[in-house]
Amino acid sequence: MDLAYTTEQDMLAESIQRFIATEYDLTTRKNLVASDLGYSTQHWQTFAELGWLGMSIPEAYGGLGGDLVDTMIMFEEFGKGLVLEPTLSSLVLFAGALELAGSDEHKHHYLPALGAGDLTGCLAYIEADEPTNFNFVATTALKTGDHYQLNGTKSVVLNAASADVILVSARTEGQATDPRGISLFLVPGDSEGLLRKDYPTVDGLRASEVLLENVRVPASALVGAEGAASQTLNTVINRGILAISAEAVGAMAVLYQSTIDYTKQRVQFDHPLSEFQVVKHRLTEMFIEYNLAKSLCMKATMLLNQNSGDAQRHIHALKFLIGKTSRFVGQNAVQLHGGMGMTEDLAIAHYFKRLMMIDATFGHTDIHLDAFVQ
Amino acid sequence: MWTQRGDWFKALADQGGWDIPKWPKDFGGPNFTPTQRYIFDLEMGKQPTPPQLPFGVGMLAPILMNYGTKAQQDRFLPGIRDGSVNWCQGYSEPGAGSDLANLKTKAELSADGSHYLVNGQKIWTTLAQIAHWIFCLTRTSSDGAKQEGITFLLIPMDDPGVEVRPIITLGGSHSVNEVYFTDVKVPVENRVGEEGKGWTYAKGLLAHERSGLAGIQNSVMGLEKAKRNAQKVRVGAGTLLDLSSFKNKVGVLEAELLALEFTEMRTLARVAAGGDPGPESAILKLKGTEIQQRITELNLEAAGVFAAPWGAEAFGPEFAHGATQSYLGGRATTIYGGASEVQKDVIAKNVLGLS
Repeated sequence: MDLAYTTEQDMLAESIQRFIATEYDLTTRKNLVASDLGYSTQHWQTFAELGWLGMSIPEAYGGLGGDLVDTMIMFEEFGKGLVLEPTLSSLVLFAGALELAGSDEHKHHYLPALGAGDLTGCLAYIEADEPTNFNFVATTALKTGDHYQLNGTKSVVLNAASADVILVSARTEGQATDPRGISLFLVPGDSEGLLRKDYPTVDGLRASEVLLENVRVPASALVGAEGAASQTLNTVINRGILAISAEAVGAMAVLYQSTIDYTKQRVQFDHPLSEFQVVKHRLTEMFIEYNLAKSLCMKATMLLNQNSGDAQRHIHALKFLIGKTSRFVGQNAVQLHGGMGMTEDLAIAHYFKRLMMIDATFGHTDIHLDAFVQ
Repeated sequence: MWTQRGDWFKALADQGGWDIPKWPKDFGGPNFTPTQRYIFDLEMGKQPTPPQLPFGVGMLAPILMNYGTKAQQDRFLPGIRDGSVNWCQGYSEPGAGSDLANLKTKAELSADGSHYLVNGQKIWTTLAQIAHWIFCLTRTSSDGAKQEGITFLLIPMDDPGVEVRPIITLGGSHSVNEVYFTDVKVPVENRVGEEGKGWTYAKGLLAHERSGLAGIQNSVMGLEKAKRNAQKVRVGAGTLLDLSSFKNKVGVLEAELLALEFTEMRTLARVAAGGDPGPESAILKLKGTEIQQRITELNLEAAGVFAAPWGAEAFGPEFAHGATQSYLGGRATTIYGGASEVQKDVIAKNVLGLS
């Protein structure tokens, strides 16, 4: 088995590392978090020029036709820099769903523009009544003539405020929890009847509650066959889990390394903290747990890449382990930094909060452990 | 709110010193036996009663009663009791966290012996921004062991040489600060006890502080609330509380809390029998804060993706509000008042005899 990255993949990782080293220090990031948009359109153009936005878009639509390993590599590096740009929502979830289920017309219309950075999209799939189940869809889409009329509320829609188009899951038939009868619709962000309540998230991103009141979209806005979106949602959410798991792996790498660096220079009781055995062992445990999480992230990526029948189990195991490990590494990074780990001035706090939200996104540890052991 | 709070403490005072349950009778306290005090704390913990700021009533007052002069007691205790004077604690410094005795804030006695000149910096000073006074550990001598040469001073916060700078922490809140002292003249009558003996006084105080940090009754109530929250989270045909992985964590916490409650009872029994509270006070802080943190994790899990909203306006189900702040802010409980790693060293050394 060859687990080595190709030259191109190494170059991809290095180019993101260079970008983060030169463009993404903590102060710059804080300014972006505080800005109106919440991220940088200039960075987004850079991402397009360097081929990161088109990485997973098929070559037929102007992309590079990369696979999930490329996605994993990119998100691991994004995680090291706590990148704010809407890569997860626009590329993995929105472009991913179109590529899986969209018509040729949809793909021609959206995918090249997404890869070029001219357009962003997001996915509205969460509802407050059962947020961990993407098959819970009470939002309705009623077909009237050549239009659909959408009504309902979507929660915690990542990057909805900046997205040109929101891909909304809505029910065309069946009960709220029925996997059958869910459909996906392309809804322009400025549609009449679409009301957003935008808010910052604890990890520095942006999300919205999206209210749909008699929002009319043409029949051509339907992505995939009517009522058949559950499988598409499942696949893009699995890819999303892989992406943010890789992001967590990157963030954890920074956390354990900065904790090693800090404890080497912090002197208490006349010795650097790193000389105390309890601290040494804790750092070693962080390193060990981090590596196990990284291994499972790689394996799950390979299995999903191959469309293996064993992939789903591994995705559940991965999301559980990433949550558990993120807590262990994050909490100990804060603990070993002492009071300093609690301050917003140090990067530690920001990695900690991002890891906390990765755990909460797409269902937390208990949800996936339960699904894994079923 | 503040009026109600004032009324509450006045009502307690009218019961005969219930506002100062730990103070001895000579100072107006209710003269509770250890057992009575435990029952009092237990019952108070079961209700959402307004908490008292601990710095004056719980931390400084016992020091003044034991080591202060009559004049100091008469001057400071009334304001501490009625809440009109806020205090903060000036112990930690950038180079003196877990290794508190490493503190460097310098207090030089003037040639005429009338005052100390204080220069240096404190950090993690809770609520310094609203404090009228700070009680401080300062260094008056660098000879001998680090623990010697430390002197306990009371310094008014409105002195022009005192500067408070806020520290914004993980939960986005401002409760801790840096406090800088530049040529602050402190009259010798503001020294508590003898020069160079401050460490001994503070050590007693720290034990006092730690035993109050276990928050067992709060955890008992908090766990019940976490269970109710989890029951509001729909997962498939049931709720989050029905998931075995979640339910097991709740069960483990419940069992450990039962054990911790009885550990507190054992401490109490020793004190009631006239003994020292002993090593259990360190156990209580260590386990108590870990349990507090694990309960905040349960609430965070119940909040799920609604842990994300972070603005002035609240979104998502009501029980999710505040879950993120509690989880983030709660990370400090295993750091302050002696980090857990140091607490274990204390137990290893003082109880198990492992040097």
